[in-house]
Amino acid sequence: MFFRIMDKSRVLDLVAGLSQDFEVLGPVSKGDAFVYQRIDDPADLRLDYDTTLLPPKKLFFPPEEQMMRFRVADNEVVDDEVYAAPRVIFGLHPCDINGLLLMDNVFLRDYVDPYYKARRDSTLIVGVSCTPQESCFCNAWNTDEVHWGFDIFLTDLGDRYFVSVRSVKGAELLDDHVETRPITDADTAEFQRVAREFEAGFSDELNTSQLPLLLDAKFESPIWDELGERCLSCGACSMVCPTCYCFDVIDRLEPDQKTGVRIRKWDSCQFTEFASVAHGQNFRESRASRVKYRYYHKQWGYLSKFERVLCVGCGRCARACLAGISPREVVTALEAGGVGE
Amino acid sequence: MTAYQELQQNPYRPWPARITSIIDLTEQERLFELRIIDDGVREAFEFTSGQFVELSIFGVGEAPISISSAPSKQGFIELCVRNAGDVTGALHRKQCGDVVGIRGPFGRGFPFEEMKGNDVLLVAGGLGIAPLKSLINHIHDDRHDFGKVTILYGAKNPSEILFRYQFDMWKHRDDFDLILTVDDPDESWGDEVGRVTRLFDMIDIEPENTYGAICGPPVMYKYVIEEMRNKAMDVDKIYVSFERRMKCGIGKCGHCGVGHQYACIDGPVFNFWEAMNLQEAI
Repeated sequence: MFFRIMDKSRVLDLVAGLSQDFEVLGPVSKGDAFVYQRIDDPADLRLDYDTTLLPPKKLFFPPEEQMMRFRVADNEVVDDEVYAAPRVIFGLHPCDINGLLLMDNVFLRDYVDPYYKARRDSTLIVGVSCTPQESCFCNAWNTDEVHWGFDIFLTDLGDRYFVSVRSVKGAELLDDHVETRPITDADTAEFQRVAREFEAGFSDELNTSQLPLLLDAKFESPIWDELGERCLSCGACSMVCPTCYCFDVIDRLEPDQKTGVRIRKWDSCQFTEFASVAHGQNFRESRASRVKYRYYHKQWGYLSKFERVLCVGCGRCARACLAGISPREVVTALEAGGVGE
Repeated sequence: MTAYQELQQNPYRPWPARITSIIDLTEQERLFELRIIDDGVREAFEFTSGQFVELSIFGVGEAPISISSAPSKQGFIELCVRNAGDVTGALHRKQCGDVVGIRGPFGRGFPFEEMKGNDVLLVAGGLGIAPLKSLINHIHDDRHDFGKVTILYGAKNPSEILFRYQFDMWKHRDDFDLILTVDDPDESWGDEVGRVTRLFDMIDIEPENTYGAICGPPVMYKYVIEEMRNKAMDVDKIYVSFERRMKCGIGKCGHCGVGHQYACIDGPVFNFWEAMNLQEAI
C-alpha cells in the first residue's frame, strides 16, 4: 500500500470532481442523526459524523429490491438484469468496511449473488477514520482497523488526511481530481500518534474469551430466558446491523395478474415465523430461542464457516433496541454467569 | 450464452420444467414427474439422493421439495408433494403439460458411494418416505453393490401409505426386507400395527457394516436413532434428513439455520455425529 497527504479542505474538490463521473454518496445530517444519502452539494458531506442510522449495507443489499420480472402463463423470467450505476461512497468507518467484507463472504462465495455483486463491482469506497463512541466495541473483534475493502482511506490528522491508497482505481481518483503530496516521516509519526490516541479512546475492552464454546456450553442457560422475556421480537437489531443478511422472497403480481415481480426484502430471525415450515412446525417458537439464535449464529455459526464473528461492534443494535439489549450485555453475561452479574 | 451458462449467472433464476405426469398417491399427496425444457440445463442437472430443488410458481412463490426419483432415472425428476401451503397448493392445481420452475439441485444428499458394499437400513415416517424413495430406487438400480437392504416404513393409517403400489409388489421380493406399519389400521390392513420403532424387534442387522438412513416428522428421529444405537450401529453411519425452511437453497437467506449450520448447503442430510453437534437439530 502507498500513502499520500491531502489537505482537508481539498475534500470538497474531490467530491465535486467525482460528481462529474460518478454518483457520489456519503453521510449527511438528518435531524439529530446521520444517514447515507446521495451528495448533490459537496458541502453536505459530513465526514465528522459519529455513526449512521442504517449501515451502508442498504446501498448494496437494499431493504427491498427486485430480483426478476416474470410472466405467469409460461412461468418464464422476462428480465433478471441488474442495473448498477458507477458510484463512490464516501465516509465509511472501519467497522462498516469490515461489515461489507463479512457480507462479501456470504454473497460473493460459492453461489455468487448477482444483485449484490453488481452493486459491489460498480462502487468505489472512500473510508474515513473515526472517534470511538460510548456504544462502540469494534475493538473486541479487531474491526476497529481495516486493511482492505476500500479504494482509499482517509485518516484525520487535524488539518490534513493521511491517505491510504489500496486500489488502482483509488489511485486514479486522487490523480484525476485532487492535489496531494508524498508523506514525510513527520506525517507517519503523527499517523501513529493518532492511532494510539484512537485505541485509548475506547471505554473498555470486552472480554470475549472462548465465546463460541461458551455459547454451546451455556445453550440451556437461563440467560436466554431472561433476554427472551425482554425482547420484543421487533427485528430492529437486524435491520440496523451492518452484517445481518437474511432476507425473504415475495412475488408481487401486476393488477392484470399476467406478469409480476419477484422481490426480496430484509428479514429477521427475531420474527415469529422465521423458522417455521409448511406443515406448521416452528423450530424457534419462543422469543428466548430466537434471541439466542441471533447470537449463536453471529458468534459461532458464521465463525464456523468463515473464521470471523459476524459482528463489527458498531453498536447500532444496542442503540436501536427498545428493550435495551446490547451485545455488550449479552457477551458479558455469558462470560460471567448471568444477566446483571 | 447457452442456457446453462445463464443458469450459472443467476442462481435465483428458476428454469421452466413441464409436468409430464401426475399420480394421486393419497388424498393429500401427489407424485409429479417433471422434465426441464431446456436441453442444456436438463443435461447439466445431476443430483444425488437426498438433495432437493426449489419449486417455483411465479405469482405464488417457491418451496423446497426433495427429489423422490433416483439419479439413475435420466431426463425426468419426480417430486412427491403434499398440498400443505401456497406453493404446493398451486402445484396441486396444475395439470399435466403445465409449466413450473425448478432451481437446483441443492444441498448434500446421502453418501451413496460410501454406502456401497454395506447393508442399509432405511426408516421412514409419513412424508419422510419422499427423499428416501430416491435412495431406495437408486439402491434398487445398483442392487448388486449392496448387501442386505431393510426398509421400515410407518404412517398414521393405511390410506396415508405412499407409493403403496410399488411397496405391495416389493413385499414379495426376497432382495428387499420391507415392513410396513400404521398406527390406526382398517379392516383391509394385513401388515404391522404400531410405531415404526416397534419394528426393530423384528429385524436382525450386522451393526459393523450397516448404514442407516432416517427421514420423517421431527419427533421421530430421537426414538429411531435410539433403536439404531441399541442395535450398536455407529453414530457416523446413521444418516438423517432434516426439514427446514430452505427458502433460497444457496446459503444466503438464513431461514433454514439449524444450530451453526444451514440445512440447505450443509445438509439437509447429516450423519448422527454431526447432528449430535448441531444445536436445535433433534
